[in-house]
Amino acid sequence: MKYGPYVFLAAFFALALSWCGFVVTPQVQLGRAVQETNSVEKAELYPQERSGQARQGLEVYRANGCAYCHSQQVGQQGTLVNVVLKDAGKKTMDVAKVLNDEKLGTFSGPSVAAGLPKTLLQNVSMEQAVALQSLLKNAGATTELHLVPFGPDIERGWGKRRTVADDFITDATVMPGTQRVGPDLANVGMRLPDVKWQLMHLYAPGAVVKDSPMPRYQFLFEKRKIGARPSADALALPKEFAPGDGYEVVPKPEARALVEYLLSLRADTPLYEAPLTPPPAPKTNAPAK
Amino acid sequence: MNATSPTSPASESISTAEIDASCRVPLFTFFVSGAVWLVIASIFGLMASIKFHSPDFLSDCAALTYGRVHAVATNALLYGFALQAGFGVALWIIARMGRTRVSLPWMIAMGGKLWNLGMTVGVIGILMGDSSGFEHLEIPRYGAVFLFLGYLLIGFFSLVTLHDRKDRELRPAQWFLLAALFWFPWIYFTADYLLLSHTPVRGVVQPIIAWWFSANLNLVWVGLVGLAIVFFFIEELMKRTLYSRHLALLTFWTIILFASWSGVPHTAPVPAWIPALSTVGTVLTFVTVLTVMVNIRRTCSGCSQTDKPISGKFIAFATMAFVVSWLMNAISGIPEVASVTNLTWYPVAQWQLNVFGFFAFALFGAIYYIVPRVTGIEWPRAGFLKVHFWLAAFGIVLIVLPLAIGGIIQGFNWHNVKMSNVDVAKSALNFLRISTVGEALILVGNLMLLTNLIGLSVRYYKTHFVPAYREATAELKPAGVKP
Amino acid sequence: MNSATNQPVADNGRDAVKDPTVPIWLIVVLFLLVFWGAVYFDEHGGWFEPQVYSPYVSAEQLKDFQVAGGPDIMLQGQKIYEKTCITCHGPAALGQPGQFPPLAGSDWVNEKEPGRMIRLVLQGFSGPGLKVNGQPFNTSAAMVPWNSLSDDDLAAVISYVRGNKDWKNTAPAVTPEQVHAIRAKIAAVHPLSFSPTELEAINPAD
Repeated sequence: MKYGPYVFLAAFFALALSWCGFVVTPQVQLGRAVQETNSVEKAELYPQERSGQARQGLEVYRANGCAYCHSQQVGQQGTLVNVVLKDAGKKTMDVAKVLNDEKLGTFSGPSVAAGLPKTLLQNVSMEQAVALQSLLKNAGATTELHLVPFGPDIERGWGKRRTVADDFITDATVMPGTQRVGPDLANVGMRLPDVKWQLMHLYAPGAVVKDSPMPRYQFLFEKRKIGARPSADALALPKEFAPGDGYEVVPKPEARALVEYLLSLRADTPLYEAPLTPPPAPKTNAPAK
Repeated sequence: MNATSPTSPASESISTAEIDASCRVPLFTFFVSGAVWLVIASIFGLMASIKFHSPDFLSDCAALTYGRVHAVATNALLYGFALQAGFGVALWIIARMGRTRVSLPWMIAMGGKLWNLGMTVGVIGILMGDSSGFEHLEIPRYGAVFLFLGYLLIGFFSLVTLHDRKDRELRPAQWFLLAALFWFPWIYFTADYLLLSHTPVRGVVQPIIAWWFSANLNLVWVGLVGLAIVFFFIEELMKRTLYSRHLALLTFWTIILFASWSGVPHTAPVPAWIPALSTVGTVLTFVTVLTVMVNIRRTCSGCSQTDKPISGKFIAFATMAFVVSWLMNAISGIPEVASVTNLTWYPVAQWQLNVFGFFAFALFGAIYYIVPRVTGIEWPRAGFLKVHFWLAAFGIVLIVLPLAIGGIIQGFNWHNVKMSNVDVAKSALNFLRISTVGEALILVGNLMLLTNLIGLSVRYYKTHFVPAYREATAELKPAGVKP
Repeated sequence: MNSATNQPVADNGRDAVKDPTVPIWLIVVLFLLVFWGAVYFDEHGGWFEPQVYSPYVSAEQLKDFQVAGGPDIMLQGQKIYEKTCITCHGPAALGQPGQFPPLAGSDWVNEKEPGRMIRLVLQGFSGPGLKVNGQPFNTSAAMVPWNSLSDDDLAAVISYVRGNKDWKNTAPAVTPEQVHAIRAKIAAVHPLSFSPTELEAINPAD
């Protein structure tokens, strides 16, 4: 074959195809997403803009290559459903008959209406759940379906649902991570919300997680002589990691920003594309954990 | 050796020595600078490897934290050595196959200097904390600009050289190189403009484009140029033509059509259609491997002698590494496998095997063959060549095998919910220790290459420049004045 | 000249090429894999829907999983009202005499078919001649168009206002699809904000 232009055209066609597919189309579909008021229970914008300090923390995260060992992408293997009986209605005998026929236990009229809300079926597929729901609806009972996402990441407590594109709209640099040497961080603000723990973990990971493979980031901290009084921000380090007598370790602004960013990481709001039934709000006045 | 060109009877035939001589200036830049970056990459790679299992090694200096060291290691290997030496070998192959001199070699060398400037500035930037955050694209904006400008010179004049070929027939290696010459600037400009400029795209589109760029660079570009080198040298060293052009054509199409879609991992936080397309593209590169295997096996059947043993060894190893690494990639595209191997050491192993085991080995074989012919000077330490081969071969096996196995074990362990995070990390520790040994071996081998190149350059300088200089600056003997 | 591969005259030592065809089994493998790829994408690709993420495989399946009944419309609408509408229409939706019309008990709000109200909110409103509950309401102020809010947000706030019992509004709620349909209709027809006479001319069921 003599003609270079043919080779060029072939390469142009192939590259244009993949460029349209993976550069243009994602930009058209996802690139202009705006925050929407689609948070189910709070009716707030999702995702919330991170604070300025957290945004600086994102820059520290990027500069030090945290994404090479930590991912921020929770996976989900599937979604199961729980069927919860909310109201037995007036024909409790019919409802009990349905439940007995479905071999969900031995119920009688009065026992059906006791102890509501009651979980009837757990961890079944959507088809099974909808079938039971319609049977019970015909018998006059009201049921609710609760979604239970599952998967190894979710079982490890790394998140309640998978991460989706909407979780990253407000970030200047989006780094879903290239490897999991350490745990996933998509929801670390929910899992480890203690500022002091995070700071100590950055300064000396071995102090809080035994045998941790994470390197220490002592250059984010300042070791200085204790002045008239110990600083309120000084880290309370165990003996083998503590600086010498008369010295204290104080976080620099970079460390604070990074921790602020980590604490802002949570992606557990139910969304249309990642539906989830959040756990019911606690009835006490204690602050949410 | 003179060749007749049936299509243009008016053209004079240029001797191979002239073609080689015209490549001298750009190849010096590419190969010597490339070898320097290779050694830098190996040093940083060794540091990173030690940090895997001894995390507090050199961790107190901000510039030497693992995240920055890792980024420098991969970028120096990819852009500093692989791409740069790849440009050099590609240029030489284009000139040789087209039987024409290189067009404007000083401009290409200038492009190489700009490239190295971009690399230096970029690497220092990464160490200072300006890494872009995207894998294989970490060189910040101010470095990337120089890389791109340098490439424009290199790519344009390489294309002109190809266009000026006396032998108008385009053989498979030339198709691959032509496609690659055009591929790189498009993907690099797209990725830089959309990710590193002042107005980058927003949201999850960023990693999508980064993954797209990474696959197109590491699979398509490296695959095209690496296979071009392999095809050319198999023909050159074994004095026989490639078994089937049609198979080579199929290889070409499967690489540019399928491998250009891989890259997006299975669990990425993107709509399902994107990883689905990527899965299909990755698995289909299996056909590429098959075509290359069949073509090369049938080309090589029944031959045992090669002209230059050491280059032949490197090329043979590169071919085998290509097959294994692309098979690893294709298999890891299958969703059930991906759910285990994704986000573990396994993709790291596959990348190392592809870029170093396949591409760098092909480049080593090419460099050891080309430089003596281009400069007319033999390698000062000929014994180093063989030692380099064995060190590099053992080194890469000691890196890839433990990391791949460790990655699979790590992947299964992440699925085992009862294992704590630290235990999962610890399960890969011994494999990481073995891989450090491999990195060390590779570093020694690369130092040998650099020593040889520098020694040869010094000898070249002494042989060519020193006598000319002496002659030009010799004291003039006064001529007798006629009365 | 070796015609099988169009090589130039072979240099000394190059062996002749044997039969250079592509083995048929390789083509078979290629087609099998392409077929597998097509089936895989059909099953797992969600057909390019941007909202479908694995493990969900289609937009229909994703819809089946929206069991929470969506966000609490009234709560969402209340939040939007309190951020947006309250500045002019007031916390008790009584408006400001001579400036902003009331929403509580207004006939504009309580129409059974929401067409007029949705248009009003989407495109804004200006001009003289406004009548509320039959009484003329003189105002020189204009209502800002709210087409910048999403369909979901608009449906929520309109439903909230229409169904707010404290304000004696008893109209049925509005869905995002209805908002979307009207948005499409008026985009083609009416770029400027409505005047009261134009609005009165519109059939609310449209």
